[in-house]
Amino acid sequence: MDFGYTQEEEEFRVRLCNFLDRELTEEIARQNWEDKGVGPEAREFSRKLAANGFLGMSWPKEYGGQGLPATYDFILLDELGKRWGAHIPLDVGYTMVAHTILRRGSEKMKREFLPRIIRGEIEFCLGYTEPNAGSDLASMKMRAVEEGDDFLINGQKTFNTEAHYAEYHWLAARTDFSPNIPKHRGISLFIVDMNSPGVSVRPLITMSGERTNEVFYENVRVPQDRLVGEKNKGFYYMMEAIDSERNHVFTPCRLLPILEDLIRYVKETKFMGKPLAENPLIRDRLAQAAIELEVAQVFAEHSRWLESNEMPMTHEPEITKVFISELEQRLVDTGMQILGHYSQLQEDSSWVPLRGRIEWYFLHSFMTTIGAGSSEIGRNVIAQRGLGLPRG
Amino acid sequence: MDFHFSEEQKMLRESARDFLQTECPKTFVREMEKDPKGYAPGLWRKMADLGWMGIVFPEAYGGIGGDFLDLLVLLEEMGRACLPGPFFSTVVLGGVPLLEAGSASQKEEFLSRLASGRMIMTLAHTEPVTTQFDPHLIGVKARAEENRYSINGTKLFVPDAHVADYMICVVRTEGKNDSPKGITLFLVDAQSPGIKREVLKTVARDKQCEVTFQKVKVPPGSILGRLHEGAPILEKLLQKAAVAKCAEMIGGAQFVLDMCVSYAKEREQFGKLIGTFQAVQHHCANMVLNIEGGRYITYKAAWMLSKGIPCTKFVAVAKAWVSDAYKRVAGLGHQILAGTGYMEEHDMPLYSRRAKAAELAFGDASYWKGWVAKEIGL
Repeated sequence: MDFGYTQEEEEFRVRLCNFLDRELTEEIARQNWEDKGVGPEAREFSRKLAANGFLGMSWPKEYGGQGLPATYDFILLDELGKRWGAHIPLDVGYTMVAHTILRRGSEKMKREFLPRIIRGEIEFCLGYTEPNAGSDLASMKMRAVEEGDDFLINGQKTFNTEAHYAEYHWLAARTDFSPNIPKHRGISLFIVDMNSPGVSVRPLITMSGERTNEVFYENVRVPQDRLVGEKNKGFYYMMEAIDSERNHVFTPCRLLPILEDLIRYVKETKFMGKPLAENPLIRDRLAQAAIELEVAQVFAEHSRWLESNEMPMTHEPEITKVFISELEQRLVDTGMQILGHYSQLQEDSSWVPLRGRIEWYFLHSFMTTIGAGSSEIGRNVIAQRGLGLPRG
Repeated sequence: MDFHFSEEQKMLRESARDFLQTECPKTFVREMEKDPKGYAPGLWRKMADLGWMGIVFPEAYGGIGGDFLDLLVLLEEMGRACLPGPFFSTVVLGGVPLLEAGSASQKEEFLSRLASGRMIMTLAHTEPVTTQFDPHLIGVKARAEENRYSINGTKLFVPDAHVADYMICVVRTEGKNDSPKGITLFLVDAQSPGIKREVLKTVARDKQCEVTFQKVKVPPGSILGRLHEGAPILEKLLQKAAVAKCAEMIGGAQFVLDMCVSYAKEREQFGKLIGTFQAVQHHCANMVLNIEGGRYITYKAAWMLSKGIPCTKFVAVAKAWVSDAYKRVAGLGHQILAGTGYMEEHDMPLYSRRAKAAELAFGDASYWKGWVAKEIGL
């Protein structure tokens, strides 16, 4: 057993930290994290990350990567997280889509997309969820019908975050309409240019002020060579990508700045002449949060270790996902309790403590146990795939 | 980063599991709960023959020269089997601090006897004033007399004292009762005149004792470490004991989960296996979250301890998390096993009762959260 990092990994971390401390402002980090839309500053930051060799570490050299273990990508995510950056600016392409292109895409597709993703130039948005296909994702209805050299696609997606600034849609649509097959066997994946005629995007604004979107397809023509891998295998590709997605998206380090802000606050804020940090109840709650963050970190380290060494993952990243998302809610609740009356003040209000970060997280945290698969579905996965309990 | 157990550790785990399945069935565990000694000398001898008591001691002392992680693997299996008896007291509370802080002649005198199973040891630490766990709150005093010390006072919750040959007794030789300065550790012969030992009746029916010292004479050569300066040895001992206890707890919690999963796969209600119900699946998934997190954080802390990396925070995180986690797992286990698991003859109560005892040993979650608070700068 070894819970440490190698010297090379530590040296990489030092170089990376120097770069991030210089280049990553909180504003850039938040543009992505809060899905405000990646602005020119974040795009520029993304290109600089790539130019300094901090993107594509674990990817094959022939597509612009460096052929290193995935550990390096995780070090990047950890260090971004510690600076309010939940992920790299253009993260859907980088952490979710590219792995599947690498595994399942044609050579032409790999050459077309991977180098641009690694250079931090393009972004994708996921096109999975539909109004009537949430947890039961395989029941999606979006239709893709072959017509000549193209697929003709019609239907509607919802909660497609990033759709308003991504260049490409990573779209799942039904390609086999036979009523006799299980519904997950008739789905295919496509890469669709968001500028294609017939694609329209409408904003949906969340309770925490983030933008997500509905995406409508009306007779959208997508060339055959934008079908990812084999027809009707899309759902399998989505599922085989999900473990790595969880590992890359649910990083405990991104919650550290909240804890650090709270620690600073209780040391600086007094009640009846004494710092809040001396209150035993407050100490207990913050200690509990710190404990859970360390447990989350070691969960993440375990599932990342599996991924970095290309060992099979079944339910391990799901454990990490469920645990971290629920921990976020408990941490934020601790923060709101500590801030008391002041916890309700918003970022642009007078008297607001901690720049309104905790209040924003309070609103945001309702989503974490839902997005990318609810805690309930997660627990089903842990029980069924991890423990072999029978499906109902 | 490497979460693999070594081949030796895997073999150790397998052989320990096989051995304990045969030698330590639940009938035996229940029998030992009622037995005055609480362990079977025959089984103790067999464990010694397997080298278990000497697992962390150097070969020069008849040990097998393993490290702290090897010991944890073994303790996990012992927790799984609810192994009764003084293994933890002897090896973790007695042997480990002797190995780390003992003089050459003390090691010579004790370690080979411990490794061969010929000596049982324990730690006499907690006192009646310890209404909340606090390692430095020591009121039992040793007064210097001519050429010797005289110990007076009462120690409580001393595990296995009734069968111990020697105890490390934590006493005050100087300073105020809650001061780390002035604590001294004595190696005390349990047969010394003036020592009275009485087994307390505890929830886990483990053998925790009251030990009274009345003018118990000990020579200066029996000090472990240095006079007045026992606190650092004690702190390190308690850190290792806390993490070792975590391993035992994780082993127990894993058994509870395994038992529940098997039950959920065979028990039918409403014409279906209860394992198909999401409510039951989610209970099981929650057990997984509690156990897996506990196992990784325990081994992480143990790895740091064995490498000599400062890790007070990680020890604290591990004992705080696992103390609560095992308790939650036991609660969920009872919920799944329901009425049958509530019966005295079922295995489930063996685990829920031990979960409580282990939670309280060497500081519960509240105690260790105090350390975490300090470590994060509060």
